[in-house]
Amino acid sequence: MGSFAAVDFVPNYGFDLYPMGFLFMIAFTGMTFYSVIKYRLMNVSLVITRTSIFVAVYSLILGIPYAFAIGCQEWLRMHFGELWWLSPMVLLTVMATAGPFIYLAIQRRAEEKLFQDQRRYQSTLRQASTGMGRIKDMDKLLDMIVRVVTRSVRIEHSFIYLSDRKSKEYKLEASRFRNERTDVPQTIASDSRVLKALKKIRAPIVFSEVQQRAQDFKDLKLQELEEQMSALHAELIVPCFIDEKLIAVMVMGKKVSGELYSQDDLAVFMILSNQAGLAIENAQFYKDMRATHEQLFRAEKMATIGIMADGLSHQINNRLHALGFIAGDALDTIQLNKKLKMTDEVKEMMVDIEHALTRIQENVSQGGEVVRGLLKYSRKSDEQFGEVELDELIDEAVTMAQFKIKTGEMSIVRDFEPGLPKIHGNFTQLQEVFFNMIDNAYDAMMQRKSDLKEEGYEPRITIKAERSRMGSMRIVLEDNGIGIRAEDQEKIFTPFFTTKLSSKKGTGLGLYVIQKLIEENHKGKVFYKSEYGKGTRVYITLPTVEGLDQDMIQSVERQA
Amino acid sequence: MSKLLIVDDEIDIREFARNYFKKRGIQVFTASGGSEALDILKEERPDLILLDVRMEEMTGVEFLQKMRGEGDPTKVIMVSGIEDEETINQARSLGIIGFIHKPLVLEELQKIVMKELKQGA
Repeated sequence: MGSFAAVDFVPNYGFDLYPMGFLFMIAFTGMTFYSVIKYRLMNVSLVITRTSIFVAVYSLILGIPYAFAIGCQEWLRMHFGELWWLSPMVLLTVMATAGPFIYLAIQRRAEEKLFQDQRRYQSTLRQASTGMGRIKDMDKLLDMIVRVVTRSVRIEHSFIYLSDRKSKEYKLEASRFRNERTDVPQTIASDSRVLKALKKIRAPIVFSEVQQRAQDFKDLKLQELEEQMSALHAELIVPCFIDEKLIAVMVMGKKVSGELYSQDDLAVFMILSNQAGLAIENAQFYKDMRATHEQLFRAEKMATIGIMADGLSHQINNRLHALGFIAGDALDTIQLNKKLKMTDEVKEMMVDIEHALTRIQENVSQGGEVVRGLLKYSRKSDEQFGEVELDELIDEAVTMAQFKIKTGEMSIVRDFEPGLPKIHGNFTQLQEVFFNMIDNAYDAMMQRKSDLKEEGYEPRITIKAERSRMGSMRIVLEDNGIGIRAEDQEKIFTPFFTTKLSSKKGTGLGLYVIQKLIEENHKGKVFYKSEYGKGTRVYITLPTVEGLDQDMIQSVERQA
Repeated sequence: MSKLLIVDDEIDIREFARNYFKKRGIQVFTASGGSEALDILKEERPDLILLDVRMEEMTGVEFLQKMRGEGDPTKVIMVSGIEDEETINQARSLGIIGFIHKPLVLEELQKIVMKELKQGA
């Protein structure tokens, strides 16, 4: 500024530029004003207010003594003679001393009035910031942030986008509209200009500034940023950083009053966003912790069930065994004494009792099957592992399934290339796995057929397979059955959980056993994706014989 | 008359199995534990023993070790729940006719028992 102002001294060095020197001064002042207003270097309304107050106060301070001196000169001369100027002088001194105090008092009042709204919402936001850390539920937290911001700052809308750990995109997680809703993009792409800019400057971005600069500098990057901000309906974008990571983006619409965001606003929003960042991280941590806890709880439950299963099954088995003996002996007594003389009524009664006892025996046998099914795989299997061919495995599983279901009612499509590596596994156990899955898929497809009654519905199982990593194979078994309801999806691997009607006699052990066989006995992986009304896809990863050498090397290395 | 010894700590099993085999003209002895069974074994010299694997006082395998240790060659059928391979192998090495799994329908047990007793007679 000083160098610009120095043009004023040019005439003093002998260069008579009149009236140019003066013009330089005017140009300099004009430029300063222009830039202050355009780039909001200062809060313009604040500057104007302060200037007006200053001018008004000092006009009075200086004006009153002068007016007094000039207006009352005659009267003063009459009373004070030659020293008449003393009294206006005293007045001037007093007023000049009081001046700054008056000025400050008026200024404070005026600013309070001027920034009343702003101060109010800024304090609301500060309060909200401190309360945020206490909210552990992520949805509630985000909802509270957008609600508080929209309401207290009185803006058209505000949204929060959260960083998605998997896709690296930022996903819309909360939104609030003052009036009507507008269509908002659900995601911000990871390579978008908006994110790049936020990561670079780590500060709020104001749309009108971007717009202005894009126009002034004809910069393509700025124009792209402008377009993207306008697609987001963003007047202001505030980043939320935790350490070096941009975890969230807050998007805000225009103020309802039409005013621009001031520097003060931006400062408050940065505080808010810092606090929000911490709160979001907190909530995220809490959410993760709960998921881990649930997982642990499930694992623990499984382990407990494993231990209990052993003791319990013996107890139950013994009871069933005794029950079978009791029924068997009674049945035997009846059968041995059939030739005795008895009335027709007694004979009829004997037939009924005989039938009842037979049913008891059958139930005992079925109960025994359930217990055996549970225990069969909770123990370490000593059975041999060997080379298993997928094609052959499916053949055998289908053969097994034929005894239980009508395989002719569905088609089984094998969608894999020949020449896949052989699986390293136990044939009987894997046969059990595939039998169970085909059986489940069949039930699901029959359920869809009877529930939805779609015309032209063709039950179909598709089995895909491919080599995934070195030493393992990924198998996908897809059916177009009824699918699994969202509320059941958590539970389907839990023992004794069944969605099948009791008439179909699901033991609730099928998937539990599948998981045990694959994950514990074969060190593989099994998970599924399902949509109710559409179908289910089960993903299985199993080791192949190709991986054996690799494993051996690794285990030798571990021992060494 | 053939003699059958049933060793089981379940009173219902002892009672109903005894009833059942008595009706078929078999002399049935029962023991609720290993030491009682060893006494009966010496006094009565049964033709066949039905031996439960899991018992409180003495396990089936321990009983088997003791009796074989005393040089008793009596035929034994083991009645088990779901045992692990180790127990099965141990019992097999001590000389048994076979394993039958609980729960068992009496009629099937009867077939096996009758076959063994007939061979012995």
